[in-house]
Amino acid sequence: MVLKFYASPFPVAGGGIVALALAEKQAAFDFVPIDLKTKEQKTAEYMALNPFGKVPAINDDGFVMYESRAICRYVDEKFAGQGTTLVPKGTKERALVEQAVSVESMTLFPPLDKVVWEVVVKPERGLAPDQAIVGKGLKEISDTLDVYEGILGKHRYLAGDDFTLADLVHCGYLPFLVEKGVDIMTAKERPNVARWWNELMSRPTWVKLQAEGMKSTV
Amino acid sequence: MAILKLHGGKQATCTRRVATVLHELQVPFELIEVDVANGAHKSPEYLKIQPFGQIPYIDDDGFLLYETRAICRYIAAKYPEYGLIPTEPKANALFEQAASVELTNFDPSASKAGLQLWIRKMGYPFPTDDKIIADNLETLEKKLDAYEAILSKQRYLAGETITLADIFHLPYGVFVTYAGSESDSVMNRASRPNVARWYKQLISRPSWLAYLDGVTTTTAY
Repeated sequence: MVLKFYASPFPVAGGGIVALALAEKQAAFDFVPIDLKTKEQKTAEYMALNPFGKVPAINDDGFVMYESRAICRYVDEKFAGQGTTLVPKGTKERALVEQAVSVESMTLFPPLDKVVWEVVVKPERGLAPDQAIVGKGLKEISDTLDVYEGILGKHRYLAGDDFTLADLVHCGYLPFLVEKGVDIMTAKERPNVARWWNELMSRPTWVKLQAEGMKSTV
Repeated sequence: MAILKLHGGKQATCTRRVATVLHELQVPFELIEVDVANGAHKSPEYLKIQPFGQIPYIDDDGFLLYETRAICRYIAAKYPEYGLIPTEPKANALFEQAASVELTNFDPSASKAGLQLWIRKMGYPFPTDDKIIADNLETLEKKLDAYEAILSKQRYLAGETITLADIFHLPYGVFVTYAGSESDSVMNRASRPNVARWYKQLISRPSWLAYLDGVTTTTAY
């Protein structure tokens, strides 16, 4: 049975990260849309897949798992030998990828999540963004990107000269900011970050995913 | 080959997480204290190694690495016989799922409440906020209801054996209990017997007990 991939039908956030990983690995899958507007992710049926009531999740012929970053690792392993290698096998190379993935999770994502909540989610619900929270969050993100500027001056991608999971995980939430006109990823003061971001956004897998959306390959 | 050097703080939360895993894997290490009180972690020399100005980092015979969970993964991968990161693909995926759960469902609220509760317990001169503690503990209570569901079916978060994913819940899993008592805290409630069982197993491990008074250089096991 082909891998079933459960997510909201928009190629953003955790679902978007997994969709991009599946595309990078040229993996076959059956897409099952979950309707967040009707809180389908909180139904008993869905929570049997993910007790935290969040998307995405997968069911690979009976093997069920959730958490987008973990799913990406599993997909990389399952489809090893085809598509892009997301996590290298060498001990030190892999450690450096994990280091960069950890920076995204622990340092970049917390303020980014808050800002996205204010500028994307609240307006959808007819609520006004709290500009103080947005300002504070953007400053924290900018400070982190200043460090990225140094890192990306030494090599092409975050963990070395190849695109890896560490770069891929940045494609879930940062695009929200760009879409809302926040110019943080292409600021002139950070030419290395701008170069890296433009490379990510021009990846054929990314361009195709944004153009066509989440689509079953079967 | 030089002994592994752990650059961090004797009492620092993330340094303790790494030390716990080093102890689990019986890896000799030298603690080199970073003078955080005087801003040593923000000096230009330090930033060359850890550009985010955070502790800890390790120097493993010249290989430099930061981010505690990446450090722990690196060490665990060197000693696969301990099984802290399963290698079989599906078992590995379930480990990564559990590790991600700790990251996204536990750490955000546990670290915010836990850090402040630890500051109060240690008597450090930093400001703390009752509301931040209370709000984050409330979030954590709800998350642990999902943990109860998971741990009612299996002994540990990734299956029947302990993995790094369980150990990542230290030390904040202990610090959040400072808001309660030994018999009743967020990690040890009668309403969540499986979480309580799992939590007690974690804190009775020698690797946690070894550094109750802070991390120290460990050359023999």
